[in-house]
Amino acid sequence: MAEDLFIEMEYAQFTKTGQAACGDDVRLLTVDRENRYIAALSDGLGSGVKAHVLSTMTTTMALRFLQSNIPTLEAVEIIMDSLPVCETRKISYATFSLFDFALGGRAKILEMGNPGYIHLRGTEEIAPVSEERMVSVHWPDRTVRECEVDLRAGDRIILCSDGVTQAGLGERRDMKLGWRRSGVRAFAQERIAAEADISARDLSLEIARRSVNITAGVCRDDVSCLVVYLRHARVGRILTGPAFRRESGAEFASQAGLGEDHVVICGGTTMNILTRELGVEVKISLADMRAAGRLPPVGKVPGVGIATEGILTLSAVLSALEEGRSPEGESPAARAILERLARHDRIEFVVGTKVNESHQDPNIPQDLELRRSVTRRLAAVLEKRYRKEVRVNFY
Amino acid sequence: MDKVKVEICCGTACYLLGAVHLMELEAQLPPEMRERVAFEAKSCLGQCENDRLGGAPFVRFNGTEMMSRATPGAVMARLRELLGLEVA
Repeated sequence: MAEDLFIEMEYAQFTKTGQAACGDDVRLLTVDRENRYIAALSDGLGSGVKAHVLSTMTTTMALRFLQSNIPTLEAVEIIMDSLPVCETRKISYATFSLFDFALGGRAKILEMGNPGYIHLRGTEEIAPVSEERMVSVHWPDRTVRECEVDLRAGDRIILCSDGVTQAGLGERRDMKLGWRRSGVRAFAQERIAAEADISARDLSLEIARRSVNITAGVCRDDVSCLVVYLRHARVGRILTGPAFRRESGAEFASQAGLGEDHVVICGGTTMNILTRELGVEVKISLADMRAAGRLPPVGKVPGVGIATEGILTLSAVLSALEEGRSPEGESPAARAILERLARHDRIEFVVGTKVNESHQDPNIPQDLELRRSVTRRLAAVLEKRYRKEVRVNFY
Repeated sequence: MDKVKVEICCGTACYLLGAVHLMELEAQLPPEMRERVAFEAKSCLGQCENDRLGGAPFVRFNGTEMMSRATPGAVMARLRELLGLEVA
């Protein structure tokens, strides 16, 4: 990937009220070797488990076909031929929107049956460079739209299911045809005007939430919104030490200068090294002390970032990431780290490998992992599951 | 009169060996002590690898006096002494 460009792909989803499974499916794929980013959003016919199966089959196949560069029509025909036929409606159907982008090139968007994508550069809507409509011989009533899009740094692409654009349809006098694509676009433009660098994560969530709020919190249909944001990478850094050699301390500590919103100091000894080398102090307020939960409290290091305890907190973060738990239920220290991880695209771990002898005290009631192995597992889960770029430097 | 400052180490070893209970002391102070003691959590007092001092958890009184293997009872007793109150 070009040194500082990053593709943020995030989506938000709500299930139709009363259904056990979401009938929409969103799947994301990064092909590292090709610097290629692929996303698929599908809405299965109907709702509930049956729709979920249809949409999941569609996204799974679509990702594989795109990755293998199979011609569009051929891929669509295979998908349509493979979907089970609905007993009630006697048709097989799942809509889709596919996004395919290799860094440095143009993006391709394929759509069938879903609301048209929205491409915004700042608040300005951008038309595709080229557009083609294709009809399959097997399925003459289905049209596939293929667009080539000129995606530049700062651009966003918004894809959604019709649960978003049709929110309010037939229910609200002021929205006879629902929120519509134009309503979604206007809302996104308004949000971007207010917050120019709003993340894909926040924007997708706000669009999905807004569509649900149109019908007073009741989901009349499954709601999915995917936002792709091409931006300069947001770099976050986690320092956890101490360095193996004491003389590396200064170099280790110098890595802390990245800006307060981007740095986490993990570990009491690590913090002491920063105090020694940079003269900075950690401040833990009484409120933070009282709210600490099941982990030591989180503190602030003015001018540097936040500070937490080391291995227990990192282990809690790792388990939340591996099990896909949301930050809200975690202790404040783990939550603070999880929220920072979510806000950044590239995560840099600066890891001192010296073993803390006090951790080997036989009186300590639980096994403590080594920093080095926890960091490796964190790096793996952040890359694979959360599509972060991760760098690890050992000291 | 100055408050007695109590710094509790929240490093990994101290936390696991009992600092978590020391942090609860602040909420348990009797009324006559409440206004006269200031608790602070420290990310690490840097003592756990110092064999001469005994083991974690560590607590520091008034910035100079270190207590090792601190328990809620021992901290409370020392606080009463420092405040000139009767030691139970």
